[in-house]
Amino acid sequence: MKTSWHRIIAIARKEFLHILHDPRSLVVIFILPTFQLIMFGYALDMEIKNVDLAVLDYSRSPISQRLIQTFDGSPFFRVRHFTGSPAELETVFLQRKARAVLMIHSDFARDVQRRPATPVQIIVDAVDPNAATLIRSYCLQVINEFNRRYGGESRLPFDVEKAIWFNPDLKSAYFFVPGLLALILIMLCALLTSVTITREKEMGTLEQILVSPVQAREIIVGKVIPYILISMIIGALILSIGIFLFGVPFEGSYTLLVLFSFIYIITALSIGLMISTVAHTQQVALMMAQMATLLPTIILSGFIFPISSMPAPLQWLSNIVPAKYYLKIVRGIMLKGNTFDQLLEPAGVLLLMALVLFFIARRRFSLHL
Amino acid sequence: MNSRKISVQTRDLTKRFGRFTAVNRVSLQVYEGEIFGFLGANGAGKTTLIRMLTGLLKPSEGEGFVAGYDIWRQAEAIKRHIGYMSQRFSLYEDLTAEENLTFYGGIYGLNRRDIENRKRELFAHVGLQPFANQMTRDLPLGFKQRLALACALLHDPPIVFLDEPTSGVDPRARRNFWNLIYQTAQLGKTVFVTTHFMDEAEYCHRVGIMHMGKIIALGAPGRLKQKYRKSTMQDVFIELHRLSEEQA
Amino acid sequence: MQPIWYLIKKEFKQVFRTREMLSIIFIAPMIQMLVLGFAISTEVKNVSLIIADFDRSRISREILQAFEHTDRFRVVGYETSYRGIETAIHRWHAQMAIIIPADFGRNLQRGLQPEVQVIVDGLDGNTAGVALGYASGIFQRFGEVWLQQRAVARAAAASPPGHRVVVEDRLWYNLDLKPEQYMIPGIVVVLVTIISMMLSAMSLVREKEIGTLEQLIVTPLKRYQLVLGKILPFLILTFIELGIVLMAAQLIFGIRIAGSYTLLAGLAFLYLFATLGLGILISTITHTQQQAMFVSWFFIVFMILMSGFFVPIENMPGVLQKVTYINPMRYFMYIMREIFQKGSSLQFLLKDWLPMTAFGLVIFTFSVLKFQKRLT
Repeated sequence: MKTSWHRIIAIARKEFLHILHDPRSLVVIFILPTFQLIMFGYALDMEIKNVDLAVLDYSRSPISQRLIQTFDGSPFFRVRHFTGSPAELETVFLQRKARAVLMIHSDFARDVQRRPATPVQIIVDAVDPNAATLIRSYCLQVINEFNRRYGGESRLPFDVEKAIWFNPDLKSAYFFVPGLLALILIMLCALLTSVTITREKEMGTLEQILVSPVQAREIIVGKVIPYILISMIIGALILSIGIFLFGVPFEGSYTLLVLFSFIYIITALSIGLMISTVAHTQQVALMMAQMATLLPTIILSGFIFPISSMPAPLQWLSNIVPAKYYLKIVRGIMLKGNTFDQLLEPAGVLLLMALVLFFIARRRFSLHL
Repeated sequence: MNSRKISVQTRDLTKRFGRFTAVNRVSLQVYEGEIFGFLGANGAGKTTLIRMLTGLLKPSEGEGFVAGYDIWRQAEAIKRHIGYMSQRFSLYEDLTAEENLTFYGGIYGLNRRDIENRKRELFAHVGLQPFANQMTRDLPLGFKQRLALACALLHDPPIVFLDEPTSGVDPRARRNFWNLIYQTAQLGKTVFVTTHFMDEAEYCHRVGIMHMGKIIALGAPGRLKQKYRKSTMQDVFIELHRLSEEQA
Repeated sequence: MQPIWYLIKKEFKQVFRTREMLSIIFIAPMIQMLVLGFAISTEVKNVSLIIADFDRSRISREILQAFEHTDRFRVVGYETSYRGIETAIHRWHAQMAIIIPADFGRNLQRGLQPEVQVIVDGLDGNTAGVALGYASGIFQRFGEVWLQQRAVARAAAASPPGHRVVVEDRLWYNLDLKPEQYMIPGIVVVLVTIISMMLSAMSLVREKEIGTLEQLIVTPLKRYQLVLGKILPFLILTFIELGIVLMAAQLIFGIRIAGSYTLLAGLAFLYLFATLGLGILISTITHTQQQAMFVSWFFIVFMILMSGFFVPIENMPGVLQKVTYINPMRYFMYIMREIFQKGSSLQFLLKDWLPMTAFGLVIFTFSVLKFQKRLT
């Protein structure tokens, strides 16, 4: 039997009506991602600033004061004076009053005059190892600064010129806007499609459709069209917030991004369709869709955690996460101004994934209804 | 008949959803041990009325008493004295028939021995023994409805509300179900049943016919047939419809 | 109490009869734990590096060896032109490039203050920042060693080079700076939150959608009984899961717990009241499972982000830091990490468990009140 566009449109229209008749869902679909994006925009700053530093100054000398001032003057530290005894130090960490403690012993002023190297002690709360590493290096920087200013330390015999490309201020918006685009698109598509078919199964309305002359592929295409449109609109929404509110640049071609986003959306929808052939209830479908998309996209796509730092099996596993390729595409087009030929590799893999997933979903779909 | 005790009583009971009036000033009395049939086309307001009487919906206006309790203020007290079978099958499909009954027995606060006894009695009463351990989703619709009735009778309530209990089942199953309703009434229970099958109206002691939220006729089926000079309730119903259409 | 008991039994029967639900509740978290545990190291390693050495002197080779011999960097190529570097970074082949200009070694020895160049792809701001830090460190160390050697070579001339203050630093609690020690307890919190909220958010709305709630509402069951009957089964399930995940944390990742299990379990109980209450609240305000799913997804993302799980709360702007105080996960995240690593006690965690419990009680009461035993 030939594919009938009339039937496809009938199904697509019905699906649209479902969505439009339920304003709550519509609000949820559109408002929540926007809200999330804005929240991410302001919260996702990985750089540590304003570390609370407790100071135990037994020297109480002009030079120790100067050292403390150097710490206080740096953007990294906020000095908190500590008056207790060293035995009570642990309570500073237990009550989380400070992340690090600077101890200056009583002979500090004398030693600085006489000895070539005078130690000060710094104790770091290493519960968060990342922060601890940073705090240590901040301390070194501050001490180096102090030595240069007061100790007659000579500077390095050469300079290091640093150039940061594409994102000179290391703004986090540059990397989370593409990341969130990838995340929200895949979650919406997978969740929406997985449920739409399972719901009809659960409610018994699918039988009604199946006894009509409509074909499996027509059901699939008809059900998927509205969600492609919705996803495209949401994608545009996210992009415009990123560009206008967070000032993320757009270097490349819009057409290219739309084209590749379409491939990504098809991949995501196929995942949803596959889940709907396996799951019998909406509850199961929703939970499966959530698990297949949320964590893999956040964790294994390079969104937040660099893939190159992971152990080999996970690096291998990350190859089957569609968002990994899409992220490269979005970041590449938006920020690097990548052209079609520069993105052939990620786009090719994504296309292959979309085709394979869609084919399997379609096969399973006609077999399991 | 008026000497008998009243089970359900309403005066000018009204329910509006926005601008739409689903139930319009309904006044009626139902007596103990009576099978009271509520007739009407789909959307006539039967389900809304039942939902107000069972405490599922708050009325907009009017009075109502069920088993002597006020539906405005004592909805929770009413719930202990009624059984309810909803229009849509609403037991757990993923529990067995027997587990469903045990569950509701527990919810109604029966003790373990009572639950076992009631289960045995009710399975016998509705003829479900062979299917007790089957998953509810695998039961034929007729048996699901018997199970729902058993569930409504579990805590031995004096009044049961059955909302379209026979929709969707074959004539023989419907006949069997009505036999069950009779047996239930013989135990002294008041049965408040809605239906849109006019032949079923013949089995009721008294019927109320509803149209567009209003009661347009109330009385024993024999009396109504006499009054409108028709031989079946079906014809009475059509006649009433014609009259009210003319009025409008 | 009896009706609650029957509700709990029913809920368990339904869960244990659905194989998919069982695997979602018990197997999926294990897998997530494994993947997350190994993936989330905030350590940056193997940054792909490209090197352009226009100097080719002994000194430049010495510098570059330092880059080749650390697992922070992975040298992916040697370029001989700026153009090549540009292409490599554009095509995602390398994330960082180091350029040592011609005559660097000679100019260094003449004291001409030459310049090396580091280019980094700043798209992944975090990695870029950390990688730059590593590179600076390597250059710094090289420079210091070089200065010292020269000082020694000049045969202890007049005086030692000034007076310096040096840092003696000590680390407490996580001596080896193992990221797992920090992240795994956090992951446990996240997993427990996801499962408890999803289960409770879906369960009531599911009954609404398939119509079984109507039958429950016409029973004399009290509101609080119904809500408790919905919460308790999931409380138990989540506790079982908590046990499994904690066991996995110790067996697979070798995390040791410094504090008391009893304290942890007790505070987890208080925390779960908040998440389960929130789940129930979601299911009372939504009409379909799909909506419930979306809303709880939103809450979960919000809670994870605002909990300090991977973005430290101190880094957030002031307003958002205040917002974290209404996030129950924030408190439990601290509790978990502090108990695991510092062995903290009830007294020191007061400012966490007190607001957390208050939140739980409020949300639970609110969801009971919000839940109407009527159809709308």
